[in-house]
Amino acid sequence: MTESAPTNHRTDRADRADLPTRTERNPVPTPAGDHDPSLEPKEPTMLLARMAEAVYWAGRYLERAEGTARIVQVHTDTHVDMPVGEDVGWEPLLAIVGVDSEFAERYSAAVEVDDEGAAEHDVIEFLLHGEENPSSILGSIASARKNLRTARPVVPREAWEACNNLWLASSDNLAEAATREGRVLWLRRVIAGCQRINGILLGTMSRDEAMSFLTIGQNLERADLTTRVLDVRAENLRPNQGDSYDEVHWMAVLRSLAAYQPFRRAMPARPQGGSTLRFLLQDDRFPRAVNACLTESRSQLKGLARSEDALDACAIASLIVASAAVPHLTLGGLSEFLDEVQVALDDIHRMVDETYFRPTFVGWQPESVAS
Amino acid sequence: MAWPSYDPGQFYDEMVAVSGRPRSEAEALWRHFSELGPEALAERQDAADREMRAIGVTFTVYEGSTGVDRPWPFDIIPRMMTSDEWHTVESGLVQRLNALNLFIDDVYHDQRSVSAGIVPSELVSGSPNFRRECVGVDPPGGIWAHICGSDLIRDADGTVYVLEDNLRVPSGVSYLLENRMVAKHVFPEMFRHYSIEPVDPYIGRLANMLASVSPSTGDPTIVVLTPGIYNSAYFEHAFLAQQLGVELVEGSDLVVLDDDCVYARTIDGLQRVDVIYRRIDDLYLDPEVFVPDSMLGVPGLVRAWRSGRVALVNAPGAGIADDKKVYSYVPDIIRYFLDEEPILATVPTLRCSDDDSRHYVLSNLERLVVKPANESGGYGVLVGTQASADELEQAAKQIEGEPKKWVAQPIIPLSTAPTLCDGEIAPRHVDLRPFTLLGPDGAYVTRGGLTRVARVAGSLVVNSSQGGGSKDTWVVDTRRANPPPASPEPPTEANAVNAADTGPLDP
Repeated sequence: MTESAPTNHRTDRADRADLPTRTERNPVPTPAGDHDPSLEPKEPTMLLARMAEAVYWAGRYLERAEGTARIVQVHTDTHVDMPVGEDVGWEPLLAIVGVDSEFAERYSAAVEVDDEGAAEHDVIEFLLHGEENPSSILGSIASARKNLRTARPVVPREAWEACNNLWLASSDNLAEAATREGRVLWLRRVIAGCQRINGILLGTMSRDEAMSFLTIGQNLERADLTTRVLDVRAENLRPNQGDSYDEVHWMAVLRSLAAYQPFRRAMPARPQGGSTLRFLLQDDRFPRAVNACLTESRSQLKGLARSEDALDACAIASLIVASAAVPHLTLGGLSEFLDEVQVALDDIHRMVDETYFRPTFVGWQPESVAS
Repeated sequence: MAWPSYDPGQFYDEMVAVSGRPRSEAEALWRHFSELGPEALAERQDAADREMRAIGVTFTVYEGSTGVDRPWPFDIIPRMMTSDEWHTVESGLVQRLNALNLFIDDVYHDQRSVSAGIVPSELVSGSPNFRRECVGVDPPGGIWAHICGSDLIRDADGTVYVLEDNLRVPSGVSYLLENRMVAKHVFPEMFRHYSIEPVDPYIGRLANMLASVSPSTGDPTIVVLTPGIYNSAYFEHAFLAQQLGVELVEGSDLVVLDDDCVYARTIDGLQRVDVIYRRIDDLYLDPEVFVPDSMLGVPGLVRAWRSGRVALVNAPGAGIADDKKVYSYVPDIIRYFLDEEPILATVPTLRCSDDDSRHYVLSNLERLVVKPANESGGYGVLVGTQASADELEQAAKQIEGEPKKWVAQPIIPLSTAPTLCDGEIAPRHVDLRPFTLLGPDGAYVTRGGLTRVARVAGSLVVNSSQGGGSKDTWVVDTRRANPPPASPEPPTEANAVNAADTGPLDP
C-alpha cells in the first residue's frame, strides 16, 4: 500500500522521542521588532449607534414574529381540544400580543355581530398580516428585514438573505394561511425561517458588539412575550377547576413557548399552575424562561462599555422575578406581578436605548475632544 | 436549421463573427448553448432570476416621487472578451485616469493646461462642476478621482471607445460582482472549461486604496457614506460596506468638531473617521459650503477635508473632468500631461456653444445623439434616428435656448451580444462599465466590467434606470483552457433548487 506509507513513516518519526520535532528544532521565525500590523485585528473597530439600534430591533422583531407564530399555532391546536361550552375563543390571542385595542378599532362593527367562526378569521388575519397591526407576524418579519437591511454591514450576509427569503416566502404564500390547514403550514414555515436566521447568526456571526445588541433585543423580547403569555393564559383564560382540562390548558401555555419538553425534563410534577409559573419565570436554563433571558442579557451587557445603568435595571428585574411567590400567585395577584416584571423589562430597554442609541447622551462628547 | 439561429446584422457582435460562426474564444460556449437547447437555457435563466431575488439584489427606480425596489435584471448569456484585448483596454483606462487626475489637480492649482491653450478657460471656470472650495487643496498623492466607472462602447468595426468617464460617484460595481456569483451557479461547467479572470479581487484593492489615502498613521477608520435607504444605489452602498467590513454611515451619523476632524456617533461615543468613501454628490456633501438645506451631508465636512484631516473618495470637485465638454478635450489632455498618444478612442463631440458646431448639430439632429453636458444615467439623451419630429423640434429649441448645456455626437452603432429574449437568443446592444482604482500606490482595473444590455430590439439605451439589463463579462485567457464539457449536464430540479437557494420555506 504505497498510499499509506508516507503517513506511517511520518507517524513513526514523530513518535521517536530522540528526534527533535520540527517546532523545537526550527520554530517559525519571528524576528524581534518586526511587527506585522496586518496580522493584528483592527483597532479600534466601530459600531455606529444607528447600527446597534437596527440590530437590536432586528433581534426583537425576529423574536416577535416567531413568538407570535408559536402562540397562534398552539392556540389553534388547543382550540380543538377544549370541551364544548368552554371554548375560550380567539380574543385572548389579541391580548397576548397586546393589540386588542387596535383590533377593536379595525373590527369594532364586525366582532359584535359576527358568530365565532368569523371572529377566528378576523383575529387570525389581524395577527398574521393585519395592516393596522404593527406587531403582526408579517409586519414583524418586514420590520426585521428592514432593520437587517440597514444593518447589513454588521450582520452576516446569509442572515440578511435568509430574512429576505422569509419575507418573500411569507408574503408570497399568504393566501394559503386562510384555512386552518394552510395556516399550520404557513406558521411552521415562519418559525422555521426565524430559526434558520438564528442558526446562521449563531454559527457565523462574530461575538462582537453588534451580536450583543442583537442578543439583548432577542432576550428582552422573549422575556416580554413569556410574561404576556402567562398573564393572559393564567389569569383571564380559565379558572382552575381541578379537572383534566387544567392540564391541557397548562400544557398549551408551555407549548406556545416551546417549553413543554424542557419543562418535563426539568420539573418533577405534571404541568400545573404553580410548576408552570415557577419554570417559566425562574428557570435559569430554558432560554425562554424570564430568568434565563435576564441572565443572558446581563452577560451581554457586561461585555459593553458604560452598561452600568442597564445592568442595574437588569438586576432589579431579576430580583423581582426571583421574589415571585409561586404557587400563591396562581390564587391572585399574578396579573399585577407580571405587570411589575414588564415594567422592569421596559426599564432595561429604556436604559439600553438611552445609553447607546440616543445621540443627545453626554457620552457622545468624548473627553479627548471635549476641551 | 440548427438552434440557435442568430444574425447580428450590420453591427459588430461580441460573440459571433461576420461569417455567422462564433469567434474562436466563444466556440465552446456557443456549442454548449445548442446542446442545451432553448428549454434548458430558459430554466437556467429562471434559476438565476430566483437567485437574484432571493439574495436581495435590487435597484430602485422612481415612479413619481416614490422609489420602488426592482429585482436586478440579469441575462445569463455572458459577454466575452479575450484577455489580450482586455489588457490593452486596461492600459488605456489607467492612462486616461492618470491624465484626468493630473488635469483636475492642475485645474485647482496653476491651470497650466489653460495657459498652454489645451482647454479653454471658460470650460473650467464656467463649468457647473468647478468647485472654488477645492482651489489649492492637495489631496494625498495629488489624486482626486480615485474610483472611475468608465462607459465603453464598441463601433461597427470593433473599435473600443470611451463614451463617458464617470468620476463623481459611479455605481454598478456591486452588480458586477453579484452577476459573477450568479453566473458561476448558472454555468459552472463553462467556468471549468474557460480560464475566466476573477473579479473578486476588486474589493481587496478598493480596501487597500482607501487605506492608502488615510491622513492618520495606524489602522484607518474607513466608512461608506450613503444618502440613505431611499437612494437608488443603496443596495450597492450596503453591499460595499459589508464587503469592505466597514460601517455604512449617513450624514447624521457624522459630526465635524472644532478640531476639523470628522467623528462618527458610535455606541462608545464619538470616534474619529479617517477615510470616507462617499456616495453622495458634491453639492449635498456639506451644507456649510454647498446646498445649505441639504439633510444628507455633514456640516463642516469640506473644511475637514481641506485641512487634510479626512480623506474624501472621490474628492469634491473631481466632476470637473467628467463634464461632456471636457470629454472632447481628453485626447489633448492625455498628450499634454503624459506626453503619450491615447490608447483608447474618444467619440468626436460637438459643443453646441460653438457657433459652427451648433449650426451643424441643428441641421443634422436626426443623425446625431444629443446629450446634456452635465447629466449622467442616460437622462435627457436624445437619439436622433429614433426621435419623433416633435422630440427633434423640442431638442432644437432647448439647444437654441441654452447652447452651453448641450453636446452632440455621431451615433455609434453599438455592438451587440447574444441575449436571451423570450426563449430565443437574439442580438441586443451592449456597453461595458469597468471600474478603475487609482491611489498613491498604483492603479487597478476590474477584469472586464459590468455589461449593460438594452432589452428592446434595436434600442441603444442600456441604463438600468431606463429598463436596461445586465450580463456577466468574461475576460478569458485563450491560452489556458480545459477541454470543453463532453455533454451538457441535464438541468435537474435539484440543480435549480440549489442555485436559487430558496431555503427551507419552500417544500
